[in-house]
Amino acid sequence: MLQNAAQQMTEHAEETSHAAHELPNFITLLYQKFPENPAIHFLHQWENIVFAGLAACLICLVSFLALRQKTKIPSSIQNFVEILVSSIDAFVTGILGEHGRRHIPFLGTIFFYILLMNLSGLIPLMKSPTSAWSTTFAVAMVTMIYIQITGIQEQGIANYLKHMAGSPQNLFGIILIPLMLALNIILEIFAVPFSLSLRLFANISSEDRLIFKFAELNVFFKGLPFLFQIFANLLAIIFSFVQAFVFMLLSTVYLSLVLPHENHEESKTDASQDLKQVVI
Amino acid sequence: MEFFKANIIPSEVLVQTIAFLVVFWILKRFAWKPILSSLEARRTKIEEEFSRIENAKKEIESLKKDYLSHLQNIEEEGRAKIQAAIEEGHHIAREIQNNARQASQERLEKTKGDIQLEIEKARIALRHEIADLALRVSEKIINEEMTEEKHQDKILKIIEEIERNT
Repeated sequence: MLQNAAQQMTEHAEETSHAAHELPNFITLLYQKFPENPAIHFLHQWENIVFAGLAACLICLVSFLALRQKTKIPSSIQNFVEILVSSIDAFVTGILGEHGRRHIPFLGTIFFYILLMNLSGLIPLMKSPTSAWSTTFAVAMVTMIYIQITGIQEQGIANYLKHMAGSPQNLFGIILIPLMLALNIILEIFAVPFSLSLRLFANISSEDRLIFKFAELNVFFKGLPFLFQIFANLLAIIFSFVQAFVFMLLSTVYLSLVLPHENHEESKTDASQDLKQVVI
Repeated sequence: MEFFKANIIPSEVLVQTIAFLVVFWILKRFAWKPILSSLEARRTKIEEEFSRIENAKKEIESLKKDYLSHLQNIEEEGRAKIQAAIEEGHHIAREIQNNARQASQERLEKTKGDIQLEIEKARIALRHEIADLALRVSEKIINEEMTEEKHQDKILKIIEEIERNT
């Protein structure tokens, strides 16, 4: 009996290996139902954008509801949003200091946007746009550009170029400029978006694949795999938060590395120092 | 390389980038700024309120100190006034006593004078009575008619002799 089930699974896996690695979403189902419909074909082609857009709309809706009846003594949704914003404020200023408060909108948007995109894959008939590398790469690219622009603004173009050239102090440093320049460009301009995006994409897509595989097992073995699927879902919820947090944390640390030292030297904590060392 | 090509789709990256930038701009403009400014305003207000409460506490402490000090002064003043009143009372009482003593002394002296005068009067009257009596007795004894003036002189002489002898 087990051999038969395993054979069926293998056949099914072979059939679907080129088709799906995730649970079907409503756009996929619509596409399967109406493959010739150009609108549905368009949606299917841009489904990551559609789901990312839905996550963005949800953030905007929550923000709108929180700000609609803004009162001095917050209640319900305003209270909830203010708690989240205060937490991010405390976290970011803990690493960047008071000077880093102006980066909260960017870092906070990254956190909530990624979090909602991660979690949307756990809702039936929805999909995590972050399980596509294109999505995570886009966000990571914007992060990298934001960090570099901040670096130029904070240090000035001359200091920024000097930093990229390895801050040469003597003749040996000047000789090493091409090497240091190449190294810094690779590390700060290419490695940052690559590492940020690949980490998030790999984690979320593997979570989605895990859930998909457990769901597939449910089809063949009734009962027991369901518990595994619940476990995988719980794990996915935790990792969705962790990955969103890690993305924001690393972005914050990269930002702290390009900020002039005197600005955040006073307020940075030992924890942020340790984090920097880990990242380096 | 095939893996990258399969997973990173430039058009999707571009659209996702634009989508993220739009979301970021909208949230920064309409959500983050109002929420952060509201939090900042509340933080400032709470700080101000706490500072005001602290100041009010200090003011109350200062007022309490002043009040206690005033109360102590008032008590001391009251005590001093009571003491002064007691002393004045004593003084008045002493004065009244002295006056009364002096008045009684004067009255006593006057009464003594009156008594002395009355005694003198009585003595004179008695002397006259005795003289008159003695005259009548002697008249009867010697049957000699005497004038009033003679009687008087004789009687007085006799009395003076009697007094001298006593």
